[in-house]
Amino acid sequence: MDNIKKELKNMQKALLTGTSYMMPMVVAGGILFSLSLLGGSATTTGMTTANAFMENIKVIGKAGLFMMIPILSAYIAYSLSGRPGLIPGFILGYIANTPLGENEVKTGFLGALIMGLLAGYFVRWLKGLKVHSMLKSIMPILIVPVVSSLVLGLFYIYIIAQPVGFLIQIFMDFLTGLNGANSILFAIIIGVLCEIDFGGPITKTVTMFTIALIAEGVTVPNGIYRVCPGIPPMAICLSTMLFKNKWTNADRDVAKTLGIMGIMGITEGAIPFAIKDAKRIIPSTVMGCVVAAVIASLTGVASPVPHGSFITLPMVTNKVWFCVAIIAGTIVSAVMMGVLRKPVDEKE
Amino acid sequence: MFVVGITACPTGIAHTYMAQESLERECAKRGYEYHFETQGSIGIENELEQEDIDRADMIILAVSIQIEEEERFENKNIYYGNVDEAISYPERVVDKALKHYGLLED
Repeated sequence: MDNIKKELKNMQKALLTGTSYMMPMVVAGGILFSLSLLGGSATTTGMTTANAFMENIKVIGKAGLFMMIPILSAYIAYSLSGRPGLIPGFILGYIANTPLGENEVKTGFLGALIMGLLAGYFVRWLKGLKVHSMLKSIMPILIVPVVSSLVLGLFYIYIIAQPVGFLIQIFMDFLTGLNGANSILFAIIIGVLCEIDFGGPITKTVTMFTIALIAEGVTVPNGIYRVCPGIPPMAICLSTMLFKNKWTNADRDVAKTLGIMGIMGITEGAIPFAIKDAKRIIPSTVMGCVVAAVIASLTGVASPVPHGSFITLPMVTNKVWFCVAIIAGTIVSAVMMGVLRKPVDEKE
Repeated sequence: MFVVGITACPTGIAHTYMAQESLERECAKRGYEYHFETQGSIGIENELEQEDIDRADMIILAVSIQIEEEERFENKNIYYGNVDEAISYPERVVDKALKHYGLLED
């Protein structure tokens, strides 16, 4: 029993270590990406940048957002197994964040988390093996990185990625079947699912669904969804301002950048906060998204662009209600976080 | 009494340094000699040399993440403390460390 407890603590430490190394990457990537969309215009294929210079900034920002996933898995593995864990961690995180095969299966943040833990334990076991002294010197430089990346990479591609892809497909079918049914129920389901993993695979499933419908000329589901992406980061930002005693000084400093990311529709900024306090943050952000989605649904907000939050305002129909839905969702979510969280004990 | 240690929190902006200050204040109050390294998001600061670690009577690691250059502590008897507790109740952390080393009766 004590061993299990100790291992769970180790796992928690690993997740915190991964988050700790990922955080500056989220900020660098998120801010540069948001910045590059300034002055850009919303089109039917997403946000375009204003000029070639902004496009280059976008390239830099996107690199950061892409790499935060491999960094997470690499440092989760590093925490569990030391330096040898880094390489399989990076490789597996990269694979988790890359579309695979003809179905373009991608498991993102969740896949990277699982693979980081697996890599950590696998490498810990591998490096603990008693091997012949001749092999011993090539263990860290050759055997461990090659074997762990190969074995776990194939394990991911053949065992983990497919069922997750299958689950995403089920979600898709389920959502498509729902359309046209009770529209409030529909809005609630979109609200619950759309940002529950903060831009991860479930979010992307909702995205695929609403984009598929745009192609059919149906823009209301997309409108209901697009009020949500900015809510988690903006709500955290607002909550740190409204409930100063519930957040640490460090939280409040980081949260300022989240407000900007929220306006730009970049949900990922909320991830570090969500990992640290999942059982309070996620219900709050989900509740905020549900409120916003229901308001948008009742007032007929529609959007033809595959991007969200305030930055897409010029392209949406029912602009006033679009804003009302976002603001209401943000306030509900921020207040709920403030109420759920315990005051932090911090000496000045 | 010579105490060395490391403080590190996940964000590495504030708690790390608050825990360091707090432990230093507590050790100073007790008249101990001390050296606390921080591992914030900027990396290692106030670094501990191997000789400091070898010479120390107590090693307190108040960390919630994996530390860098852990090999310096190989085969050492270490007290692992809680970084949040170190900020608010450094006296408890130091007492627990003393107990861990058998230097204080329960």
